[in-house]
Amino acid sequence: MNKNGLVIRLAIVIVFAASIVGFIAGQVFFRITYLNEMELGNKEIYQLTKTVSSTASIATYLEDKDIATEVVNGLITNDIIRGAAIVTDSINIGSTGFISNQNTLHFDLHSPFEQEKKMGTLSISPNLDYIETRADKIGYDNAIALTAEAAAITVITLVIAYVVITNPIIATARSLHKIIPGTSERVVIPEYHNESELGTLVKDINKLLDKTEQQLARERNLRNEVELLEKRFRMLFENSTAPIVLTEPQGNILLYNKAFSSLVKEMAIPLKQSYGPYLIQLFADPKRLENTVQQAFVNDETATGEFKLCSKDKSKTLWVQAVITSTLTTDYKEYYQVTLHDISKRKKQLELLNYKANYDTLTQLLNRQAVETAIQSFIDNDTHFALILMDLNDFKPINDIYGHQCGDEILVHVAGQLKTGLRKCDLLSRWGGDEFVIILPNVSKKDIELVAQKLIQKIRKPFYLNEHDKSVSVTACMGVSFYPKGHKSLHDLVKSADQAMYSVKKEKDPELYLRFFDYLNNPDRS
Amino acid sequence: MLLLIAPYAFTQATQASANDDIVVVVNNKNPVDKMTRSEVIDLFMGKYVAFPDGNSAIPVELSNEVTTKEKFYKALVNMPLSRINAYWSRLRFTGRKRTVTIQASEDNVVQYINKTQSAIGYIRRSKLNKNLKVVFELNE
Repeated sequence: MNKNGLVIRLAIVIVFAASIVGFIAGQVFFRITYLNEMELGNKEIYQLTKTVSSTASIATYLEDKDIATEVVNGLITNDIIRGAAIVTDSINIGSTGFISNQNTLHFDLHSPFEQEKKMGTLSISPNLDYIETRADKIGYDNAIALTAEAAAITVITLVIAYVVITNPIIATARSLHKIIPGTSERVVIPEYHNESELGTLVKDINKLLDKTEQQLARERNLRNEVELLEKRFRMLFENSTAPIVLTEPQGNILLYNKAFSSLVKEMAIPLKQSYGPYLIQLFADPKRLENTVQQAFVNDETATGEFKLCSKDKSKTLWVQAVITSTLTTDYKEYYQVTLHDISKRKKQLELLNYKANYDTLTQLLNRQAVETAIQSFIDNDTHFALILMDLNDFKPINDIYGHQCGDEILVHVAGQLKTGLRKCDLLSRWGGDEFVIILPNVSKKDIELVAQKLIQKIRKPFYLNEHDKSVSVTACMGVSFYPKGHKSLHDLVKSADQAMYSVKKEKDPELYLRFFDYLNNPDRS
Repeated sequence: MLLLIAPYAFTQATQASANDDIVVVVNNKNPVDKMTRSEVIDLFMGKYVAFPDGNSAIPVELSNEVTTKEKFYKALVNMPLSRINAYWSRLRFTGRKRTVTIQASEDNVVQYINKTQSAIGYIRRSKLNKNLKVVFELNE
């Protein structure tokens, strides 16, 4: 049994209380008994005195020692009397060793015939030891009786308390202990306690259980709703084709969907916890992204823009439209939501279109329109450059003799040769027909001469025509104009170069292939 | 210890008529002239055997049949005769002897006192003669 249990506690308290009450009651009873016994002793002595008084009176009246002795001896045969004495003016009869003390009782003895006449005194000493012993005995018996009574009452109280109070409470407590809140289980009201406080307690507990059950049911429903909603949101989020990421302002990723992990995989970048604020590390041009985002956020707007991602896989160019939103939660926490829409395909198509618009389909060189735009932008930026207009010699007869197919092959060959002889920053374009325009930024005449010589040597290399089993060699004339050197527009430049080129053609000197346009104005200096 | 003699309040209530009440008498020649009630009681109840002047005394008692005896004790100590007898029985039991002479009638008492100087007795006043002297009167 539990030593802190109700039954044990109750038993301890009752036994303890019964012991204390029993002890105190015993002490009080003993005291009362003692006093009663003393009084009783005195009363007995009075009665004995009354009994012997007439004889004693006679003895004193007659002053008869024999009668007095008889009375004294008779008195001391009583347990309650320790000693007695009869004293008159002439006789003094006392029991052996009688000494009067403060407990000794004195009775006046009168003449049996004349009541008013005092003849002597009867002194009696009570036997206090005897009275005490008797009181002790009674007290002891009382104590035994009290103990027995206390024990009986304790047992009865315990049994009644157990049956009426403790047991029902324990049963209720166990019943309640077993109940899981939220279920339909209820505490059973103990028998005969329907109207008692315990019954009320149980009813109240059951009311609480009712309430708990209702509340739990409500919470469960709410949770189910939330779960359903969450499931839908999750579905929406997970199944989104657009990568969606929720980050903290520092870049720590809190949430990302499948599309995002696929994107990172596609970029051949390991999946990390953070890619910097708004995934900046994933972008090929982080500066532009940062500018865009900050500009938008300053204006409290959503940042959007098309950005190239820095894919590790060079074969894949990934373009996205990024939508970056800053969200503030109700507890003032800032989050960035980054949504990326893959626009690589569209970008590719656009690039293709752009390419088609700017490049010559046969030679894959810039077309005239593209190079014109480029030249214009050089002019606009005031970049110094040289423009070489090159025209192939005797290309028309080749076309006529071997057919257009061969002419095209030769053009492709020439384009390839020219490309290998130029710097990266130089622009090479097919101006139209068998004309090429080469733009060389920041060069001197000397440089041009060297480049021209190199280019002529390259295109002069014999080209084998499979179809006709014949090698042909191509030559060309080049006219050069410089920007600015008096030129204001593209048109002026091209015109000057064209004039220089024609002047070379006219001379029909096989060794002459290059002329600067200023030669035309001042031939001696060139 | 088991004596049942209860001392009752002493009253002098007596039914004797004024002209025929009981008197205590001695011989005329006796030097005692007057006695107190206590002195009479002490002599008749056996405490003393002498007159207050020291001369020995002989109490004269009547036999139990004479009503004067009963009246005498009633008047003297307010006790019935039975109690008086019981008192003497009690004393006899302890070995104390009564020095008394018992007369059958009041006339015998008168005669006895007439010839005995130390005698003392009680008679009705009507029995008085010139040889006797009243030392105590038991009137109300």
